[in-house]
Amino acid sequence: MHFEPVVLFFLLGVFAGLVRSDLKIPSAIYEALSIFLLLAIGLQGGVKLAEFELLELLVPSLLILAVGSLIPLLAFPVLRWLGRMTRADSASIAAHYGSVSVVTFSVAVALLAQEEVDFEGYMIVFLVLLEMPALVIGVMLARHGVGDVRWGKLFHEVFFGKSILLLAGGLVIGFIAGAEGIKPLDILFFDLFKGILALFLLEMGLVASARIAGLRAYGVFLVTFAVVTPLLSAVLGTLLGWALGLSLGGTVLLATLYASASYIAAPAAMRIAVPQANPALSIGASLGVTFPFNIFVGIPVYLWMAQFIHGLGA
Amino acid sequence: MTTQPMTLLVIISEAVLEDTLIDEITELGAKGYTITEARGRGTHGTRAGRWTQGGNIRIEVVGNAQLCARIVRRLQSAFEKDYGLLMYTAPIELQN
Repeated sequence: MHFEPVVLFFLLGVFAGLVRSDLKIPSAIYEALSIFLLLAIGLQGGVKLAEFELLELLVPSLLILAVGSLIPLLAFPVLRWLGRMTRADSASIAAHYGSVSVVTFSVAVALLAQEEVDFEGYMIVFLVLLEMPALVIGVMLARHGVGDVRWGKLFHEVFFGKSILLLAGGLVIGFIAGAEGIKPLDILFFDLFKGILALFLLEMGLVASARIAGLRAYGVFLVTFAVVTPLLSAVLGTLLGWALGLSLGGTVLLATLYASASYIAAPAAMRIAVPQANPALSIGASLGVTFPFNIFVGIPVYLWMAQFIHGLGA
Repeated sequence: MTTQPMTLLVIISEAVLEDTLIDEITELGAKGYTITEARGRGTHGTRAGRWTQGGNIRIEVVGNAQLCARIVRRLQSAFEKDYGLLMYTAPIELQN
């Protein structure tokens, strides 16, 4: 079993939250950690992206976006009719699961580094691209035929919100600077990456503990949905990654991207665009169930799935 | 020096609404406002302020009674249904 010890910090955070320890990560530090993570992931991708022809990415990008858009579209009817949830709640949860999680992706990157599995740098481009379409689909599903949507506000929130801005910004800076140019920053952004990720996971554990404590209120359906959806999405990602000819590491990351659910960008966007939806349900499922599931069970399973399918081709 | 009777309007709502609320308030004629980050508990559950979107803001507006009533009516009709929103006014004496 592949295991990345950094996820233990998440458990420590959950434990601290459950026993009501006075441990608190000040919000200013949390903000700084998230800025660091987003920039580091962006830079890392940009440096690797410099090795590729950008035009070659066009077709894979479109395919990955198209298949990724299926996730909220398939999740919505399941939530609406099988889960008997309101239209707004179904659409909002579908959007969370269609969108992606940067920290889940970071844990997968850390595991690949530990296992010495290389991956295509342009996977980070897909991370940036996949964050947005599901949110738009979610809003359209929620507002089908009713009321006006503040699209301007939503697009501003998504495109100029810090996560896309820093990821894309880091990507461009890394691309322009290249491996040599970025060297002076290596100590900060690459060598310290795992330590900062550990601190961030500690905070995530603290936040998630409140959600985990409330799990019983979400019902069996939502908890099952939060475990099964990432697995099915990951199968989709593994097959597509393999079909596109991605490397082993690239396939794992694509599966992880599809499997991950957003809990930072999506909640903010959905709160503005679909205010009728109950945020406790969507954040509870994505942060309380899917995130821990992915980092402890999911990512090692996705690695195994990718090894299996790449093994078949060999 | 004379003091001037005015109304203080305090709005406590979700941090995610900050920009939207400020747009509404200034559009209705408020000359200024003060925002502080806030945490607390109410009918919408505990707002611990751990995540940017999980926190509250507290907006203070000083103006005449009519302005404050206009803002209250507008925010009530637009946001009360779907968002956590608490508003109260108090008579104050402006000192400068």
